[in-house]
Amino acid sequence: MNAQSDVEVRAIRDVRSEVEDLLYREAWLLDRGLLDEWLELMAPDIRYWAPVRLDRARGKEDFSRHAQMAHLDENHQGLVYRVKRVQTGATYTDEPPARVRHFVSNVRVTALNDGIYEVASNFIVFRSHVGSKDCLLVGAREDKWRRSANYWKLKERLIILDHTTISGLAVLF
Amino acid sequence: MIENFLTDLRKPPCRARRKMVPPSLPSSMDTRQPMSKFGHLVDIDNRTVSPHAFFDPEVYRAEQEHIFARCWLYLGHDCQLPEPGNFITSYMGEEPIIVWRGPDRAVRAFINSCRHRGMKICRLDEGSAARLVCPYHAWTYNSQGELVGRPEQQKYSSSFDASAWGLIPVPRVASYGGFIFGCFDKNTVDLEEYLGDIKWYLDTQLKRTPEGRVIFPGVQKWTINTNWKFVCEQLSGDNYHAPIVHSSVGRLGFLGKPGQFAKAAPYEQDFEVRTPQGHSWINLSPTVPPDAHESFEPYEAQVRSDAAQILSAKQAELTDCGAVGTVFPNFAFISFLGSIGFRVTLPKGPAQTEIWFWSAADSEAPDWRKNMSRDINIRTFTAAGLFDMDDSEMWTGCQESMGGFYRAQYPLNYQLGRESGRRETERPGLIDSTPSESGMFGFYERWRELMTS
Repeated sequence: MNAQSDVEVRAIRDVRSEVEDLLYREAWLLDRGLLDEWLELMAPDIRYWAPVRLDRARGKEDFSRHAQMAHLDENHQGLVYRVKRVQTGATYTDEPPARVRHFVSNVRVTALNDGIYEVASNFIVFRSHVGSKDCLLVGAREDKWRRSANYWKLKERLIILDHTTISGLAVLF
Repeated sequence: MIENFLTDLRKPPCRARRKMVPPSLPSSMDTRQPMSKFGHLVDIDNRTVSPHAFFDPEVYRAEQEHIFARCWLYLGHDCQLPEPGNFITSYMGEEPIIVWRGPDRAVRAFINSCRHRGMKICRLDEGSAARLVCPYHAWTYNSQGELVGRPEQQKYSSSFDASAWGLIPVPRVASYGGFIFGCFDKNTVDLEEYLGDIKWYLDTQLKRTPEGRVIFPGVQKWTINTNWKFVCEQLSGDNYHAPIVHSSVGRLGFLGKPGQFAKAAPYEQDFEVRTPQGHSWINLSPTVPPDAHESFEPYEAQVRSDAAQILSAKQAELTDCGAVGTVFPNFAFISFLGSIGFRVTLPKGPAQTEIWFWSAADSEAPDWRKNMSRDINIRTFTAAGLFDMDDSEMWTGCQESMGGFYRAQYPLNYQLGRESGRRETERPGLIDSTPSESGMFGFYERWRELMTS
């Protein structure tokens, strides 16, 4: 930090502030069920995945790797299926509509090359649906966002859930 | 013919059964229920099941002994334990289990509970160790389950017999095609005989290539607020719900072509099977996922044609089919849209269940085909799966309506399917057209048999 000039620090803060607005808007789109608008944020080459966590001894990797079991592992088409499934109006997870609330915090931004930004954040997602089946999911996201002239596209999202055993995953992160 | 089959079904599941008491439990502590207490819960003539089977704590306690302490239960796959010392933890009913490969490469299983105070000696999902030390008072066991160390040894009497205080073994461990099962009951038939008629069908999926299936590392675990049987009965032959509960993804092309499973040739590839051992099978003509890899169909055609070298011609015809099969009581697999996955449904109280789910592929498959199997499996039948999300809503909803005094007077209906099934010479079991609730009621007939004997 000390090595950075005031100008650099201000530049990073500006980007972080812009990214925070982006993440808050994304969370708002998901909470409101504006899923077509949410899909517009997704890059056509996106990888959107959530490895499973395991209880392993300290020092051993405690989540599954690329070609292993996962909670989610979607490309753009897979996200389109997820959105269209809800939009059929014929699901039982979303009819009647579930109440979902995303909380996003601890945002850290690192600039990579070619307009790509690495964005780390924490989340709490609350979902309540038909009576008592409330579900609370906690974790972190490690994103790669691509910034173009006027818009941002999500290129990669690694969703790190802090649960080994989960109680429902009928949400998008 | 049907009478013969029903007689088969009602035959005692295992050789004349002596009173089963674990070796270290004094017989005065035997808390088993008197015989036939639960027989009325399943009405065989009317094909109905009482709601009490799903919420009553007394039924649940009895299941731990009559079902889970007697059946062969899935523990894990060989490829999860490649080296001596490797272990995984698992469950048999409510018993926590360690499955451990010894220095002699043999796989053994023990109750994951220290003999001193009962603490779980292993709290990891998987790992490797020559010895495990109980976290509480440091009693130490080797992979053969022997007690090989304890602090303050000199303060115990000189007559302390360490050999009597080893980990409680699962007395029988056996594997079929790399799938490891354990059984507590010395009187139950051997694993292969236990699998019985379902083996013929399992082989169409597990042994469709010479090397068999390989399991992807990692397991997904999720809890559902429902009785374990609501999950297991669906995987035992509920093809009735699919176009209804899954109509959303049906519209997106995930249920095959419109009318695919209807009735042109009902017994060829689209059929259901029940077996006298309580296992069952739904077979479905091949489905192609909506955005399949271009080589998917040629690959499947090749597997099917090569399979004739290692399986019977009748089996080879089914190798590229979809299938949902259950090995009674709680091991199931789902093969659909070119993916294959395995799951165990664990009882966690009368109204709670935990599902463990693994993904698999042909061992010899090229990477794109392996990944396709994994990706589709994750997309469809996991906790976030396009199918399973909606199934969970059904199971919790059934459970929520069950527990009251008044609802419990009215039984649940399993009468779909007027046919009584048919026998074939080349395919074992009793075969029905689909959908039918014959197979899933077979699950309850077997359940009743075990609960009353």
